[in-house]
Amino acid sequence: MSESPEKRATETILDSIADGVFTVDESWRITSFNRAAEQITGVSRKEAIGQMCSDVFRASICETQCALKETMRTGRPIVNKAIYILDANGRRIPISISAAILKDAADNVIGGVETFRDLSMVEELRKELEEKYTFADIVGRSPAMRQLFELLPRIADSNSTVLIEGASGTGKELFARAIHSLSPRRDKRFVAINCGALPDTLLESELFGYKAGAFTDARHDKPGRLAIADGGTILLDEIGDVSPAMQSRLLRFLQEKTFEPLGAVEPLQVDVRVVAATNQDLNKLVKKGIFRQDLFYRINVIRLKLPELCDRREDIPLLVDRFVGKFNRLQDKDVAGVSEEALALLMEHDYPGNVRELENVIEHAFVLCRGGLIERHHLPPALRNETDSKLPRGERALTLKALEAIHIADAIRRHGGNRTAAARELGIDPSTLFRKIKSLGIPLPGSDHGNRKKE
Amino acid sequence: MRVALPTWDGRVSPVFDVARRLLVVDVERDAEVGRSEVDLEEARLAARASRVAAIGVHVLICGAISWPLEAMLTSAGTRVIPRMCGPVDDVLRAFIAGQLASEAFLMPGCRGRRRRFRGGRRHGGPPGTSRWRGMA
Repeated sequence: MSESPEKRATETILDSIADGVFTVDESWRITSFNRAAEQITGVSRKEAIGQMCSDVFRASICETQCALKETMRTGRPIVNKAIYILDANGRRIPISISAAILKDAADNVIGGVETFRDLSMVEELRKELEEKYTFADIVGRSPAMRQLFELLPRIADSNSTVLIEGASGTGKELFARAIHSLSPRRDKRFVAINCGALPDTLLESELFGYKAGAFTDARHDKPGRLAIADGGTILLDEIGDVSPAMQSRLLRFLQEKTFEPLGAVEPLQVDVRVVAATNQDLNKLVKKGIFRQDLFYRINVIRLKLPELCDRREDIPLLVDRFVGKFNRLQDKDVAGVSEEALALLMEHDYPGNVRELENVIEHAFVLCRGGLIERHHLPPALRNETDSKLPRGERALTLKALEAIHIADAIRRHGGNRTAAARELGIDPSTLFRKIKSLGIPLPGSDHGNRKKE
Repeated sequence: MRVALPTWDGRVSPVFDVARRLLVVDVERDAEVGRSEVDLEEARLAARASRVAAIGVHVLICGAISWPLEAMLTSAGTRVIPRMCGPVDDVLRAFIAGQLASEAFLMPGCRGRRRRFRGGRRHGGPPGTSRWRGMA
């Protein structure tokens, strides 16, 4: 069988392209298949030609959202849509595809062309990048976090007591665990105890343990957490909530490294590194006389102040990626990420609950989002309403006026305050937009890039 | 024996992980004795595997399938015959006749690979004595 020179030339050109390219006829059978397509799919040209494209390509969208059918239906080409294909070993290969219709000289549709790019390498790079910004399970690229990452190994290496200060949800326990896992004590136990959650008597027996017969029902010896953590690290969380009586017992332990289990006659000696954490300002508690000054000095050897999430907003996209990956694994879902609009909302929020709150927001979105991208409507209503709350007072109930105000404010925000562009998007005259802004009392960003006209 | 094939447009669905319809066929003594179609709405792989097991499928004949899903199905007791393509009825007929090993039904790019099954129904016994017979 001899091929025409023109066809051979086309094949040579297609083979020189690094992206996979294949064409189909009107009955979805493959008519050409370039070398890159062979490499990415693992199917030889010989095997592919004449076969149904879905049997060769085996993409996640073949059945429901075929890119070519979509292009034929809408008349618009599809560019760089992220999907996956399955190779012969059942491995998912992430790719991006573009699709366009093929027409003959008389403008009749004669088939379609799909080009695709293997994103495995991009994925690998993304993972590598993620690792660069991840330190012992802590994610961040903000200067504050990177400074902490640099400090952590040195802190872990020393044997000194560490005080971790940070608001609720900033990852105090995560840091304490990182200090332990980076330290020479990593092979021994890491024990965490929340001092604020337990009443004094219980905290005492939990920390120091007791001997059989120490009190009614104490039938057996119970080792305390300090004894369990021998050779390892103990995290005393919420240290600021400890009662004065307990503070003096802790002080004694920190000074002498010994303690007496309840009912014991001999003190026990343990080698435990103490990491204390609090969400309160211990300095203030000392000044108020609530926290012992000597205990404060004992634990305040190395002090780590964890930044709040609103002070490191640049880490939000990284954290979102991390949580999306985590919930995909946990819930066996295939959520690709967060849409631009949703991410903008996530970036704007103040997160009083810090990283934990962000994690909860993503978990909420996972319940509502079945696949694809997490959109604005998948986010908790409180987060979505924040933008609304910046709108005219007294018009929060969704009246037509309020809706109009939200819509206009959104459009203006999307265009960075450019009212002319916003008016174009809304399909109204700029002067109508100015009138509506005035009458609805919509707050505007400081500058108006698109309209320099002074009023 | 209960056999299932994901279907799309009269053919075996190309990717089982995202297939929407499942043809469930009961086979007895080398003949089809009943068939029904069910929707597969489960997006999560684990849920998909459990659904197939809950339907009581002994053999799943499908197109491409991701290895974690195949492993889940196998561990749930479903025998998976992957990488099959073609019109559903032809594939089913070939399976019942013990001729699924024919390369005509293997997806492109999967030919010449080490086969993990021998043509659908197990050979070696008189008709009607395949090892799946008693499981229906």
